[in-house]
Amino acid sequence: MTRLTLDRLTVMRGTCPVVDAATFEIGAGELVGLIGPNGAGKTSLMRGALGLLPHDGHCSLTAMTPHGRARHAAWLPQSREIAWPVAVETLVMLGRIPHLAAGQRPSEADRIAVADALATMDLTGFEARAATELSGGEQARVLIARALAQDTPLILADEPIAGLDPGHQIATMAAFAQLAARGKALMVSLHDLGLAARHCTRLVLMDKGRIHADGPPASVLTRENLAQVFGISAHMANGPDGIIFQPLEVLA
Amino acid sequence: MTRALFPLLTLVSMALFMVSLLTGPAGFGLGESLQALVTGQGEAVTLVMREIRLPRAILAVMVGASLGLSGAALQGYLRNPLAEPGLIGVSGSAALGAVIAMQTGFAAAFALALPLSALAGAVIAVLLILMLAGPRGGSLTLILAGIAISALAGALMSLALNLSPNPFATSETVFWMMGSLADRSFSHLWLAAPFMALGWALLLPLGRGLDALTLGEDAAAAMGIQLARLRLQLVLGVAACVGAATAVAGAIGFVGLVVPHLLRPIVGARPSVLLPASALGGAAMVLLADIAVRLILPERDLKLGVLMAIIGAPLFLHLIYKTRRAGA
Repeated sequence: MTRLTLDRLTVMRGTCPVVDAATFEIGAGELVGLIGPNGAGKTSLMRGALGLLPHDGHCSLTAMTPHGRARHAAWLPQSREIAWPVAVETLVMLGRIPHLAAGQRPSEADRIAVADALATMDLTGFEARAATELSGGEQARVLIARALAQDTPLILADEPIAGLDPGHQIATMAAFAQLAARGKALMVSLHDLGLAARHCTRLVLMDKGRIHADGPPASVLTRENLAQVFGISAHMANGPDGIIFQPLEVLA
Repeated sequence: MTRALFPLLTLVSMALFMVSLLTGPAGFGLGESLQALVTGQGEAVTLVMREIRLPRAILAVMVGASLGLSGAALQGYLRNPLAEPGLIGVSGSAALGAVIAMQTGFAAAFALALPLSALAGAVIAVLLILMLAGPRGGSLTLILAGIAISALAGALMSLALNLSPNPFATSETVFWMMGSLADRSFSHLWLAAPFMALGWALLLPLGRGLDALTLGEDAAAAMGIQLARLRLQLVLGVAACVGAATAVAGAIGFVGLVVPHLLRPIVGARPSVLLPASALGGAAMVLLADIAVRLILPERDLKLGVLMAIIGAPLFLHLIYKTRRAGA
């Protein structure tokens, strides 16, 4: 089942297209890694798809009403803003806003969704702590939990694992993979190609606003693509533990 | 703690309201005063209670609630605890609007001319603030924008006084600008009430949107919050509240700073709960300050705005110090 359809999505900054005619679909069960160098247009692609940037072309999300969209897609921005020292549980409960009617208080179902999201992100026991007093990595996990609590069929996350310790990076990617296995669709931008190769079911490689390659990790992380887009060489092996990917050096 | 807060604030406000009714230079007895208020027995005491003290106490509640609510709403939107209508020039611009109306005689043209002028001044100031500082501007930009707008409003106000042909009107305006609730009548109350009610109706439902904005604009927009509408509602609501409050009471600053600051830890920092709490807290704060000005210097007509500034400015300094430390 298709969760996101982009057809020639174009986002302009001035006269320069930062996303140039991006076309692809994401279906249920997919964990799509969005990779590419800095400035390739990954963030603009996702923000454009969510209707947060003006764009040309068709996107299945922007065709929805704001309320309908909020129930279909959760968005985890790159900037990790927590403006007020609210309790972790309160912050994660914000993810339930799209499910509440005007003036409605959170129900038992909402509380269960929040508790599940906290457990998934290894945050049980943090409920009453002030979110602003946690470490940067802990705050990042709280914000991921907020997006999970929104309980949408589609999740878009902009560099969710940047700044997490290795254990929580792996755990977060594994949690995403598990959500995908349960029928959700996720699109996650990230710079760690090793984690992307290992956990994502599919990679979309962007370069200068265009989709350079799209497919299973092994077919995207080819020697030519890496050289052309990132200017690096890498070692990739397909062992009994899955794909092992290690970037080696910058090509002259 | 949050659950007990609202009944507690309501009780405190009601108690202060009663004390306000019983405070004044006339020196009537407690029973006599209340009896006159309710039954209308005794001509002088009834007049004082019904025409002087009652409108003053009700206005204190309305002005305080409006200023507290505006402060909490602005802070929630800008995600900055330093945003306060008085500090960032909104009250000053509203006062400018009112002064221009008074000096040009526009205020006498029709009954609503004065509050509408104050409201226009407030709208311009809020729009300028949002344009200059925006929600991503940070504390420094916000304060700088506020200083600029306050300075401009102050300069234009000085110009209006400078060019005023009537020295008596000038001194009256200067005292009016200090902010006071003394000698206000029911006509003032009816003038301000519709605008304040409109402001409350616009600001109080913003709670959920302001909660979502805790996560930033992008996340809030993706959760279905319509930011353009929220911003418009905020601008009009704050302008209606501050404009109306300034039109009847002059410039009273710091209510919107002190009250949300005191209540924020109690409500768990949630902007949605802080809105009604700050309205109640603002009412209590202005009632208290208005009782204090009558008790501290009964003969000298101490101005409410002056007292609030003396209480509020040190707290503002403390807040800047704390924000600086948190930013470092």
